[in-house]
Amino acid sequence: MMWRLRMRRLVYQRRIAGTALHSCWQAPLPSTSSDWRKVSFLVADAEMSSLDAATGELLSVGWVVVENGAIELGSAQHHLIRSERSVGHSATIHNLRDHDLIDGSTRDRVLGSFLDAAAGKVLVFHNAALDMAFLNKISRREFNAPVLMPLVDTLLQEEKLLRRREQPIKAGELRLQGCRERYGLPHFHGHNALLDALSTAELLIAMASRRSAGRSLTLGQLL
Amino acid sequence: MTNETPSQSESGDGDEVSYPGLATPELITVAEFIGQTLPFNELPRETLYPIVSRIVVQYHCQGDSFDARTEERGLRILRSGAVELRDSDNKLLDRLGEGESFHIAGLNAERGEVIATVIEDALFYFVPDEVYRQLRDTDRNFDRYFSGQRNRRLRRAARYQPEPNTMMQEVSTVMSRELLTVPPSSSVRETAQAMAQRRVSSAFVVDDDELLGIVTDRDLRVRFVAAGLASDTPVSEIMTPDLEWVDGSTTIFATTLLMTQRRFHHLPVKIDGVTRGIVTTSDLILAKQDDPVYLVQHISRQNDVQAIKELVAGMSNLMVQWVASGMLAQQVGQVLTAISDAITIRLIQLAEEKFGPAPVPWCWTGFGSQARAEQLLGADQDNGLVIDDSVTDAQLPWFEQLARFVCDGLNEVGYVYCPGGIMASTDTWRQPLATWQETVRKWARTPTPDAVMRVSIFFDIRCIYGQCKLAERLQETMLDQASRNSIFLAALAANVLDSKPPLGIFRRFVVDRDGEHRSELDLKKRGVLPVTEIVRLHALAHKITAVNTDERLKALAAARHLTIAGSRNLADALHFIQQLRIKHQCEQITRGEKVSNFVNPRDLPKMAKEQLRDAFTIIDEAQSSVRQTYRAGMG
Repeated sequence: MMWRLRMRRLVYQRRIAGTALHSCWQAPLPSTSSDWRKVSFLVADAEMSSLDAATGELLSVGWVVVENGAIELGSAQHHLIRSERSVGHSATIHNLRDHDLIDGSTRDRVLGSFLDAAAGKVLVFHNAALDMAFLNKISRREFNAPVLMPLVDTLLQEEKLLRRREQPIKAGELRLQGCRERYGLPHFHGHNALLDALSTAELLIAMASRRSAGRSLTLGQLL
Repeated sequence: MTNETPSQSESGDGDEVSYPGLATPELITVAEFIGQTLPFNELPRETLYPIVSRIVVQYHCQGDSFDARTEERGLRILRSGAVELRDSDNKLLDRLGEGESFHIAGLNAERGEVIATVIEDALFYFVPDEVYRQLRDTDRNFDRYFSGQRNRRLRRAARYQPEPNTMMQEVSTVMSRELLTVPPSSSVRETAQAMAQRRVSSAFVVDDDELLGIVTDRDLRVRFVAAGLASDTPVSEIMTPDLEWVDGSTTIFATTLLMTQRRFHHLPVKIDGVTRGIVTTSDLILAKQDDPVYLVQHISRQNDVQAIKELVAGMSNLMVQWVASGMLAQQVGQVLTAISDAITIRLIQLAEEKFGPAPVPWCWTGFGSQARAEQLLGADQDNGLVIDDSVTDAQLPWFEQLARFVCDGLNEVGYVYCPGGIMASTDTWRQPLATWQETVRKWARTPTPDAVMRVSIFFDIRCIYGQCKLAERLQETMLDQASRNSIFLAALAANVLDSKPPLGIFRRFVVDRDGEHRSELDLKKRGVLPVTEIVRLHALAHKITAVNTDERLKALAAARHLTIAGSRNLADALHFIQQLRIKHQCEQITRGEKVSNFVNPRDLPKMAKEQLRDAFTIIDEAQSSVRQTYRAGMG
């Protein structure tokens, strides 16, 4: 797993020398055979103006760190991104309006903070493909290279678990709220990047705790 | 949201002002949750908010536990899930849910060992020890809340409750009133369409307000689709006719029991004789999950004596919880009797598996408190076996084997052998119906003190298992013999009058003068038994078939054999004494003592003392009336 990531990073290594991405990559990668509780995770979520990375823009990013199998609330961060265009109708979903974003940070500064926080950690998203498409887009624009970090997708993990029970997956069962219900996690009001990241982090530790009950669960089994 | 909102108007800086010490405004959701829990609700925001950043969120699965050896020290606040606190004797101290917290090291330091076990997957907000210590050092209220936590827990042990009261509610409170009715002539297709449209899983077949039967999803599958019938088949051909039903006033507990034992999924509910609703098993499951009824159900699934024994080992703790939640003594009696019935029935089933089916019809009967559904903890066995008269001598050993197996099993589980030998395993108490009837006649003819003593146990009879007609016919003989034999009734009355209520002149309590129970009163012997005996005597004299004391009293009042006031007074006296007795037993259990029926009247609050005097006075008056009615002219 990790060797493939290392190989892919090699391609970009020289291009990014001296950048924030470079210093992020310099932290050692965790071993896939480590117990999940020994691994540091950065659980993140983003809000965007459209679900299409080609046309949409990143509006906000939130994250929180999971260390020793527990969420450290002190590590929680939420960043608004100053938008280039109007957020349009998407405001009805994430409640971020144009004037909220005026005071937001620039994309590159938020990306810098994110990479800073991500160094040496495993990234976690619920439906990683979407968030990573946006993050990679910014990263390519900034560093001419994708983020290339080890990645856990709680949605894919849950899908795998549900497939195992050999029943058709019902609508909504893979949504964050649907997944949380299976672990008895409380209801939450979503669509804020940090609150979604926190909710995803709770799902991560709930899922990993259940899967590791009475046995070990390695990072490799989560990737 | 507009810019007029004061806290929002300053946008950027505004966050800093409204959320002092909060790392990011989103964490307000966590701060608000914690701010609603005790004792954090007392903290000012300036103190509360900075704590949030120090909190760690943890998840623990069912079965995880914390004790004195748990390394991570701190306060655990439950965001979701449930935790049980038990002492080293595995006695339940408390059950915690959302918003409640515990500090395991703190609990252990105070007195003895406490173990916290996750009983439902739980999300914790963990406040590290240094933060917790700092709060206790700086905030007096916060500190006071946690000092002496364990003592309060112990007191609360009696208060904790999984709401068994819901089980005592009337079934009409949970039934569905959305009834779909179809005439018997409607086709299966029409019925199915109506069911689909109304999104219900059953329909009543009704003709002129008369309930003929029910059609359920299952009937459609099994009797229609699987049978390959034409869709214009009249629904009356696939319905289940002759439905069982319950009255709306039946408890949820009794209904659940009926449905689980008979494997009904749907049950019509009638109010004043008219079908008004339906209950389904899921209605009942929704009504309450963690309850006596599930214990009863689990008993019926155990496959050996040992497993049953383990299952009911915690019964005394359960009783403490039921009582603490306000379950009344008479309801506790019903529930504990339902449990002993279930154990008896399961043991009989196991015996039948072992020894094969019965050669002739028979029935297992309970006597005394089990028959009356008034059993409390520590009840011994009182049971017997009635066999159909067609039995041959060669067939008798089967019954002896079965009786031994069941009585031994009951003893093993905790219902000890009857000291007087009133058990199905004793030959005298395992007879063909005709022999039983002859015994009853003999007792009635010559009521020796011994016969009278036996009658007081044996004339309270209830069928527990098997061919109940046999027990009913035996009871008929008893009532028949008793009601028309005034000499026999007089002998019973003498027995009733033998135990005087423990009140001296000036209404002082008469207590034991010496021995183990010096200065104490036996609530069972001096209070419960006299009432039971008075009521039994009236019931036998008037051929009342009910055996439960409350039901007997109701029937006696309904038939005007007792005045309504007289019947109610006796019921009140009995309930009060039983309540006192059961409360006392719960305290003994909580303290880890052996349960007894003795109380020292001096330890009672003034009010309870007065009420107890009133109760004994009522018994005294009822005895006077017994003397006049059944022993007139006999002195």
